[in-house]
Amino acid sequence: MKFSYNFLQSFFKEKLPSPEELGEILMMHFFEVEEVKKIEEDYVLDIDILSNRAGDCFSHTGVAREIAAITGMKFEEPEVKIKEKGEDIAERIEVDVRSACKRYMLRAVDNVTVKSSPIYIQKRLRACGVNPINNIVDAANYVMLETGQPLHVFDADKIEGEKISVRYARKREKIVTLDEKRHELNDNILLIADELSPLGIAGIKGGIVPEIDKETKRVYIESANFDSVTIRRGSNDLKIRTDASLRFEHGLSTEFTKIALDRVVQLITEVAGGDLLKGVIDYYPEKEKEKEINFDIDELRKVLGTEISIKEVEKILRALDFKIQRGGSKFFVTVPFFRVDVSIKEDVFEEIGRIYGYENIKPIVPEKEIVPAEENIDLFIANECKDILKNTGLNEAYSYSFINEEASLYFKKDELIEMEKPVSLEFKYLRPSLLLNLFKFLAENEKNYSHASLFEIGSIFKRKEGVFFEEKVISVVLLGDDFYRAKGVVDVFLKNITGETAIYKKKDGVSLLDYNKTADVVINNVVVGVIGEICPKLKKHMKIKGSVFGVELSFEKIKSFYKETKTYEEILRFPPVLRDLAVLVPEKTEYEEVLKKMTKEGGSLLRRIELFDTYEGKEIPQGTKSFAFRLIFQSKSKTLSSEEVNKTQEKIIETLEATPEWKVRK
Amino acid sequence: MKLVDIEKVKDNFLQEIEKEKSLEKKKKICKKYIEEELSSVFSLLKNASAKEKAELGRVANELRGIILKTQEEMKEKAKEKDDWFDVTLPGNKIEVGTLHPLTDLRRRCESIFLKMGFVVADGPELENEWYNFDALNFRPDHPVREMQDTLFVKQKERGSLESKNKFLMRTHTSPVQVRYMEKRKPPFRVIVPGRVFRNEATDSSHEINFYQLEGLMVGEGVSIANFKSVIGYFLGELFNAEVKLRLRPSYFPFTEPSFEVDVSCSICKMKGCSVCQQTGWIEIMGAGMVHPNVLESAKVDSEKYSGFAFGCGLDRIAMIENKINDIRLFYGGDLRFLKQF
Repeated sequence: MKFSYNFLQSFFKEKLPSPEELGEILMMHFFEVEEVKKIEEDYVLDIDILSNRAGDCFSHTGVAREIAAITGMKFEEPEVKIKEKGEDIAERIEVDVRSACKRYMLRAVDNVTVKSSPIYIQKRLRACGVNPINNIVDAANYVMLETGQPLHVFDADKIEGEKISVRYARKREKIVTLDEKRHELNDNILLIADELSPLGIAGIKGGIVPEIDKETKRVYIESANFDSVTIRRGSNDLKIRTDASLRFEHGLSTEFTKIALDRVVQLITEVAGGDLLKGVIDYYPEKEKEKEINFDIDELRKVLGTEISIKEVEKILRALDFKIQRGGSKFFVTVPFFRVDVSIKEDVFEEIGRIYGYENIKPIVPEKEIVPAEENIDLFIANECKDILKNTGLNEAYSYSFINEEASLYFKKDELIEMEKPVSLEFKYLRPSLLLNLFKFLAENEKNYSHASLFEIGSIFKRKEGVFFEEKVISVVLLGDDFYRAKGVVDVFLKNITGETAIYKKKDGVSLLDYNKTADVVINNVVVGVIGEICPKLKKHMKIKGSVFGVELSFEKIKSFYKETKTYEEILRFPPVLRDLAVLVPEKTEYEEVLKKMTKEGGSLLRRIELFDTYEGKEIPQGTKSFAFRLIFQSKSKTLSSEEVNKTQEKIIETLEATPEWKVRK
Repeated sequence: MKLVDIEKVKDNFLQEIEKEKSLEKKKKICKKYIEEELSSVFSLLKNASAKEKAELGRVANELRGIILKTQEEMKEKAKEKDDWFDVTLPGNKIEVGTLHPLTDLRRRCESIFLKMGFVVADGPELENEWYNFDALNFRPDHPVREMQDTLFVKQKERGSLESKNKFLMRTHTSPVQVRYMEKRKPPFRVIVPGRVFRNEATDSSHEINFYQLEGLMVGEGVSIANFKSVIGYFLGELFNAEVKLRLRPSYFPFTEPSFEVDVSCSICKMKGCSVCQQTGWIEIMGAGMVHPNVLESAKVDSEKYSGFAFGCGLDRIAMIENKINDIRLFYGGDLRFLKQF
């Protein structure tokens, strides 16, 4: 918000620090000054007033009071004296407040002369980004900049009837505002209306009907306090933001209603002449209460971590207009009416802390209580997972937590979680899998690389029977490699994290993956994830040329198999005996099936089975394939004899050949 | 034939070898001595008396040994010269993977706080409105709840739901403060690194999702002075430099008092550079003393305990540290970027 340096100076007899110095001081004790800019013979300070102080510091008085408290300079508000004359306003007009208004005041001035404002007013308005219009409107704007209270002026002779009401608009009621724009209203929008039509949108913008013009002689001045939520909603609905709506939206004290009204009628009679009518209309059903806060100075010292003196505390609070009573170390303070943000002792501590200066608080190392830190096992395992995947040569990527409309076609609609008003349709749904965005990364990377391998650990989101679920998964995608490279990555990963060897069971129907080339990854009969080739439709859609595989594992399930300590298996002293064996099977036989039969029959002597070749071709019958295995026999307790090995091998061969169409070639 | 003669042959040989630079010529010297000098020595030896023979023979053999050894050395050297290879040719390409730069930064932050006895916690990204706003002292009519900035989940009859049943993508990691505290007893020292969301258009410095590091320390008599000490240590370790801190007043609903924390720019040593926008200071985090209403939401006695909380953006710190000029690179999956870390 823009503030005029000269305007601020007008509250002080003493010379203020230079604009730059003032900016520095405010930044360290009040709020950030984003810019100091020279305009004509004034300077404009752009201060980032945060919402808690909107109630008193969207005004020059508020900022001047801060300057006084920080610097110790003497600050004076303008003196207000008003002289009334003529008939009572109540004889002329009646006000009917129906809703959303905490206080409504109205005064009337007759016989004004509408002309340009004095130069100093015009300059200060311009410095704050407000265009001067005429002396009446300018006075209202000027007092708003001074006090923070928005005001509105009407030409009294343009009002129909003898009643002004504050009411919600009727559906489809229309108004033309001062900027000659036409707005259709709804029943959330609060209006100021005469007996015939709307005069203005309450707290937001005036209507064109009662506009002040050169001929205007009699004016009504409105000072009111409208409900902040009503103004905010109205302003959002109409997409109109004004200096007035901004101030009402944040909420301000109802005491300002009177202060500002007195000040503005004084200024109007000063700059436009005229006679202020007797009396004032004041709708004020519930008077604001004073807030009292008690605290002990020890509590304050504990929070700040410094031994601030009682004298210092009193000085700071007085400068900020708090009233103080004290009994020893106990403070009983009354909060000034304009500080709508202060309601508990911590709020008071902040006031003292910031004026005292955080730079004056010396760092103190916290006393360390002996509390054993609990270990975050999830984080620990996730870190380990990342390290292993990195060590297998994969690159970690972070992808968006969202997918777009088009991508959603690959999932069941009722499982997706949709966003309310995403800034772009790219972010329409929460990702139900990491694979989609990672595949997209592969497509992009294919422009520069023929091989790529990425991984990500992150949250996915699903809806099941109307309930939302968030789950952490580990995903791997590969470009330019085959299924078995993907499987190799999974094997080494699982071996390191769980110490287990997974088995792979063919399955169909997983989103994003090829119907025919997908498998469950299974550890001890628990499905921990899936592995498979990208589904051809998606691959085509993404214009990927190379082969693409994806893996997605459930973090929770992997975690349940996590093994921190590994058990040493004794290195065998007795020599192994090796035997090679080729098995001829129909071409659609799974390796796993053959393996299982051999393992079962081999017993404890058969230590390991290695597949060293798979053959399909001319040398064997069509429709068959040959697996070449090396069997490693070894005993824990003795050197194996040929006979013992032969016996076991025979049993294995027998079992294999018992299966129809299977043949062992020796 | 006398002993001196043989010694003389030896001296001559050693001198000649010493003087000669060329390997080839040294080899020729060896050859000459073996063929001419040695054979004449040994042929003369025959004429010596039996008594002399033993002594002279020993010396002559020693001479032969020296010459043969020198000849052998010359051959080895010549061979070495033939084994010349180019050390400047490129090495074999060995591919290792990489971790995301934000993972690296998170780990560094975590290890600094672990040293101070902090633990790491996390919570859901898909959060309900109660934890994200109510519990953190945002008034029911606070503008942020209506702001387009927050990514709400589309829900039927949203307006009529209780805030614990209204879902959104968490706008900060602060909900985890409450989730963490409500399940445990003070004192607390905890940090929460995690992904957070804003519904804003993306550009080089804004993303729809990004990372925050939240911190919380609650105990009896935890003060602003303690905050300055803890954060001073953290930032000093993080930037690996002597750093200065500056606390400026600010406002957050969940802290009171609240402040912004600036750290002295360690890139230009506060002389002014593009990173600190010529001010010498970098705005690094928002912080404050935990609001009593937040402690009460988490069922912590706010009369007995106090504490500080802070939150900083990890993306921005990584951008400063790694000189990355566009936040979108973090979420683009481009290997030309990822492989640099």
